[in-house]
Amino acid sequence: MQKTTVVVIGGGATGVGILRDLCMRGVDAILLEQQDLAYGTSSRYHGLLHSGGRYAVKDAEAGKECIEENTILRKIGRHCVEQTEGFFARTHLDDEAFEGKWVEACAKVGIPTIPISVEEALRLEPNLSPKIKSVYRVPDAAIDGFRMVWQNVASARKYGGRVLTYTTVVGIEHSNNQVVGIKVRNTLTGEVSNIACDFIVSAAGSWAGEIAALAGINVNVQPDRGTLIAFNHRITSRIVNRLRPASDGDIFVPHGSITILGTTSASVNKPDDTVPNAKEVVELLNIGEALFEDIRSYRMLRAFAGTRPLYSADPNATGRGASRGFVTLDHAHDGLKGFVSVVGGKFTTYRLMAEKVTDLVCGYLNVKTPCRTAVENLVEDTSPALMAKARLYFPAYGAELAASRLGSEGLEKVIARIQEKPEKRQLLCECENVTMAEVEEAAADSTSYMISDVRRKTRMGMGTCQGAFCTFRSVGAVDANGLSWGKDTNVLFKEFLQGRWKGIRPILWGNVMREMELTRGIYEGTLNINGAIDNEGI
Amino acid sequence: MKKHHNNPDSCTACTVCIANCPVTAATRKFRGPKMVGPTLERMRLSQDDIEPSLEYCSNCKNCDMSCPSGVPISTLNMLARAKYFKNRKRSLRDWILSHGEKMAKLSAATPGMANFGMKMSRGILKKIGISDKAPLPAYASKSFSKLFKNLKQTSYPDKVVFYPGCFINYNDPQVGMDFVAVMQANKLEVIVEEGFVCCGSPLVVNGFLDEAEENAKQNVQILKKWTDKGYPIITCCTSCGLMLKQEYQELFHIEGVAEYAKHLYDADEFLLDLHDQGRLNTNFGTLNEKYMYHAPCHLRAQGMGLPGVELLALIPGLDVQDADAGCCGISGNYGFKDDKYDISMEIGSGLFKTIKESGRDTVVSECGTCRLQIGHGANVKTLHPLTLVRKSYEAYHK
Repeated sequence: MQKTTVVVIGGGATGVGILRDLCMRGVDAILLEQQDLAYGTSSRYHGLLHSGGRYAVKDAEAGKECIEENTILRKIGRHCVEQTEGFFARTHLDDEAFEGKWVEACAKVGIPTIPISVEEALRLEPNLSPKIKSVYRVPDAAIDGFRMVWQNVASARKYGGRVLTYTTVVGIEHSNNQVVGIKVRNTLTGEVSNIACDFIVSAAGSWAGEIAALAGINVNVQPDRGTLIAFNHRITSRIVNRLRPASDGDIFVPHGSITILGTTSASVNKPDDTVPNAKEVVELLNIGEALFEDIRSYRMLRAFAGTRPLYSADPNATGRGASRGFVTLDHAHDGLKGFVSVVGGKFTTYRLMAEKVTDLVCGYLNVKTPCRTAVENLVEDTSPALMAKARLYFPAYGAELAASRLGSEGLEKVIARIQEKPEKRQLLCECENVTMAEVEEAAADSTSYMISDVRRKTRMGMGTCQGAFCTFRSVGAVDANGLSWGKDTNVLFKEFLQGRWKGIRPILWGNVMREMELTRGIYEGTLNINGAIDNEGI
Repeated sequence: MKKHHNNPDSCTACTVCIANCPVTAATRKFRGPKMVGPTLERMRLSQDDIEPSLEYCSNCKNCDMSCPSGVPISTLNMLARAKYFKNRKRSLRDWILSHGEKMAKLSAATPGMANFGMKMSRGILKKIGISDKAPLPAYASKSFSKLFKNLKQTSYPDKVVFYPGCFINYNDPQVGMDFVAVMQANKLEVIVEEGFVCCGSPLVVNGFLDEAEENAKQNVQILKKWTDKGYPIITCCTSCGLMLKQEYQELFHIEGVAEYAKHLYDADEFLLDLHDQGRLNTNFGTLNEKYMYHAPCHLRAQGMGLPGVELLALIPGLDVQDADAGCCGISGNYGFKDDKYDISMEIGSGLFKTIKESGRDTVVSECGTCRLQIGHGANVKTLHPLTLVRKSYEAYHK
């Protein structure tokens, strides 16, 4: 039986933040994730590192936390944060009176806002609607959810942290009102096992209610579904927020090669209600048009949805009415010692949440080491020498991105693969510039069990063609490398293509339709994927 | 919708452009139109880097022609090249090759000396990166504009405006003179406007986009002036025609191009239109001669079929066979560059072979630099279709 001091449940931002903090303070910890890391809400959002401007008027405390954490993350997380800065733009549809209130509220909590002329804003962002009325610059930034989670894990691993993915919690073991262990099931093999531990921290986000219920404790988390659209190219190089009280479809965030527009907000019953629909997409486009009037001429790549874990002691509070603040629930008050749930909160403040929870846990464990997550970088900078070397082996526009995804150690390994076999330099994913060598390296990682796991590590399949070409190439690469999880290639094909299809279905018109027909031609026509799959399958 | 940057969104990554790219077929140094064009355009919008193979795009436009989604792939490449050169020094070689008009004006005083000097200095040109094997054109002893000024035309009420372009003006004025003769035979008076400047095609391919835009503005103003008055504009050079009509719209944001473009014709196209209207002088004398025909890429890119072949088919006795063997490889000044010469010859090799196997000793083609390359690569004589039309008209009266 595995043993550890603390088990952290949930491989999203909060969970990995806690894992890292515990490990940095010398506490032995294992993180459990029911799917892949960042599978849940931490990758299903717009990737905005808030300046706090969005919350300043309604929730000054949240606004203050945001600007403080934003400042920290821009420093410690510079390999997952893109310092784009942001605009708050008031359109002709928005209430002028709110603008003054907003400027005042931002000043109060220390969020710098710099007014610029509409003319200057249009010069900087030519695709913005010329009808906008006023614009402010704020220190927003874009943060890559996948990379941020991975870099926290990489840092935690350096301090001895362990991670088990595709591992779901089936029971909380306790004795004399004290946690003694946790019962888990590997979702890929079905194997059930126990992990002995002194403490359990549930950072399961929208699933926190289900976890607490295993110990007979009631935690009222209301999953609130938000749908977003990814566009094919960078229609703006800065984040653009609508200057009005926080509402749907207010935020455009550039991320590497794409732009994300979000979000909607609707209460749902299940935390994994993440299938987006066309109605939400059309609503977002209608709203987004006020900021970018040509929005319908920009090609969408896919729609995606996640659930915000809104917590309220009041079971009737929902949607944007519920607080975005976070709460740490020490279940000692419910009669079970050694069990804490952290609920609510936002991606931007994940580190602060982790610090508070870790403080609490360390208090119980009598660990006095102070928190250092605000001062130690998530990953170290890649040395100029290594970067120069990488540029020799990676194609144009590829070296920097690969370095930020892989970190120095991973970069060295991928370079070594290319040195050994120069043909591995070729792009497996042309749209997102991912080499065969990097895909093979990601596929060989102990947390990879399917092509989508490789996708989340590399961005393979997340660009223009949405898997049309990289699916057969990556399945081929996995097969050729003889990886244990790659034996049934039909299953690999189906898993990846269905995952892409989930986000394409609600936007199936125009160029997306044409792209999909090409994909269908390749997989159903040329490769006859469906014909090859066992009739008992779907 | 096109606003301030070119939108790469129509590309479905289908790779048809790669299959049709003559440069990709000839060398692996070029990563292909899809990658360098729309795919990297997404990257260029998000970060600064250098794609070394960008310089291998020849702007022949076979990718644009083959694209089922209408992506102006080669134009994305040209814009990226301009962006690349924005803050970088250009080579003397690229300056010389892009500024044929300026070079010609410098040499105009003494073209004989200039040609002699050029022959002597091929070694020097090689040193700056111009191939010593490439078929550089010689300057004519008298430019087209000089010849035209001394020409007495018969005045007719119907007039056309002729845009000669640099190659006809400075290197091959006889084509311009043949054009005027053919127009006169059709009771049309030719106007040549002194204010026309180089269309900008050689500037664009070497990244001198700002200068090309200045030229475009000047030409647009003049072209618009004449088409507003109801005169058609005619070119005999397919690259000039493509630039004035289509590439200006893709590259720049100048008012009025779409309007005058409707009245801008290739000479062969214009004559065929006259024929359709029953207005073409069909007093063609018999020419019992055999030729090969090569369709320039920049003619095919205009999507007007092969008007030269159709026109020449009207001439009794004339046997013109379409080589239909793809790009000749020269792409303006691409094949003149020392590091591109071999690629250029490799691209043209299929065409050269077809020509040689035909046994015909003369090739007809609208494009001046195609004619240079074909003469060089297939060791044959070359002609513009209008030269044969003029010859046929003259034969009628003999």
